[in-house]
Amino acid sequence: MDEGKNDLINGARMRMQKIKLTINGKLYELILGYEVQPWHTLAFTLREKLGLTGTKIGCDRGECGACTVLMDGRPILSCLTLTVECDGKNIETIEGLLNSKTGKLHPIQEAFIESGAFQCGFCTPGMIMSAKALLQRNPNPTLEEIREAMSGNLCRCTGYIPIFNAIMKAAEKMRGMT
Amino acid sequence: MKRFEHFNAKTIDEAILLLEKYDGEAKVIAGGTDLIRVLKDDILPKYPKAIINLKTIANLEYIKEENGVLKIGSLTRLSDVASSSLIKTKYNLLSEACRSVGTPQIRNMGTIGGNLCQDVQCWYYRASKSLGKVFHCLRKGGNVCYAVSGDNRFHSIFGGKGCVAVCPSDVAIALTALDALVKTKGPLGERVFPVSELYKDAALNLGRSEIVTEIQVPEPPPEARQIWIKFRLRNSLDFAIVSVAVMLTLEEGVCKDVRIALGGVAPTPKRLKEVEDFLKGNYINSETAEKAGKMAVAKAFPLSHNAYKIPITESLVKRVILMAKDHRTLT
Ligand SMILES: Cc1cc2nc3c(=O)[nH]c(=O)nc-3n(C[C@@H](O)[C@@H](O)[C@H](O)COP(=O)(O)OP(=O)(O)OC[C@H]3O[C@@H](n4cnc5c(N)ncnc54)[C@H](O)[C@@H]3O)c2cc1C
Ligand code: FES
Ligand code: FES
Repeated sequence: MDEGKNDLINGARMRMQKIKLTINGKLYELILGYEVQPWHTLAFTLREKLGLTGTKIGCDRGECGACTVLMDGRPILSCLTLTVECDGKNIETIEGLLNSKTGKLHPIQEAFIESGAFQCGFCTPGMIMSAKALLQRNPNPTLEEIREAMSGNLCRCTGYIPIFNAIMKAAEKMRGMT
Repeated sequence: MKRFEHFNAKTIDEAILLLEKYDGEAKVIAGGTDLIRVLKDDILPKYPKAIINLKTIANLEYIKEENGVLKIGSLTRLSDVASSSLIKTKYNLLSEACRSVGTPQIRNMGTIGGNLCQDVQCWYYRASKSLGKVFHCLRKGGNVCYAVSGDNRFHSIFGGKGCVAVCPSDVAIALTALDALVKTKGPLGERVFPVSELYKDAALNLGRSEIVTEIQVPEPPPEARQIWIKFRLRNSLDFAIVSVAVMLTLEEGVCKDVRIALGGVAPTPKRLKEVEDFLKGNYINSETAEKAGKMAVAKAFPLSHNAYKIPITESLVKRVILMAKDHRTLT
């Protein structure tokens, strides 16, 4: 094959700007202008480009928390985040919670099921991500601390009480594990 | 969202240069919690051609104290301001105001500079094509404020020069009671001025290519008592219907110094100078606090749908003064 042409293509590839995202521990490199456009939100990229449809879009305006993911450990709204601004960031979504070695659900997921903490389930991935961030920084939260940590996630179905119970239960399970 | 070019600014000067180059057709982005909504709803008279990211500028995220002045970099996130132990101990009013903004996620993304520079929430201004109607109001270069003769339940009770939308920023109200300054940089260099002066008639008092770089707060006297109350329908997510920030210094029950700022009731943070003058030198008790509440609203002139804010303001002013006196806080 023509050496010169190869160099040209390689050169162009080098110049292509890539957005590097670590999502649930896996590195994704997305080519800017092709796989990612400047006006794409992280919620859009996750769902429409990477097939990670666990993250939900409710209001798409920052008001409901359904799109909550963790960025460098903190809950943020993927509907108000530009993917181009996530270069180099560590993102966690609901898909990352399953233990890939044992195939077991995360204790928070188990607790949500056991406590009946969802009905339609649309708020659940966002709820669980907010809960995960809380329990990472505070393994033994009070009800008040749970309510505050969850105050950016709306649920239309459950009335919240089963959700708070689930988080209490998850905290217990997780404390028992360490 | 419609398309735009995107730049990651490396320095403040680079951001200013880009703003100059686009001559009013570019916007800076910090946390994006307000700007992305504005872009999605496409409410600006001119959709920006370029978005300039400030988060890639080094050294704009800091909280430090220098010669009795608290300095906060404009890109510092609200959750970091709220949880800073330095701010909790000495500038609690600011900590509480930040904690009352939006939701935990909004506070993890939103910056203090973006909070001060956010757009108003007026529903005529925010109405969009996707919602079926656009109002070319004063803020968009039109010549009417639709809220004056429309549904103005969340608007100003102290008038306004044309536009009656209220200042949406909680942080600005707390910073006004703390006598804080903002530092900006633009093509003409740096400026430092009181936070309350950032807001004027239907726009921000910022040049087209000017960026807020720092917030400066003078250290309050250690005995000063600081209280923040934000009245709203839900305890999370909602903007203030009325908010009050107070800083009170007492000497044997007598008011030595006081600063009170109101939010949610006027287009700018509203300092209550007359009430402050009345309180200074007076005993603080339920009578003087009640009189202060009455004075706070004496000059209010509500619009057709928002007279309900007057008794709320009156009782909150009374309440914060008594809370400050008794060292009580909201739990
Ligand atoms: C659901 C919801 C609830 C909310 N509730 C509240 C509330 O209760 N109280 C409240 O105060 N706010 C509230 N907000 C508004 C929220 O957007 C701000 O609080 C937030 O701090 C904005 O900061 P940001 O960094 O995200 O700004 P951005 O969205 O990045 O920017 C906002 C505006 O400021 C400009 N800007 C940003 N940084 C600078 C700078 N350094 N210099 C010059 N211009 C700049 C941008 O160009 C843009 O026009 C809420 C928002 C949402 C979505
Ligand atoms: S979809 Fe992001 S907050 Fe509702
Ligand atoms: S389970 Fe339906 S919204 Fe929460």
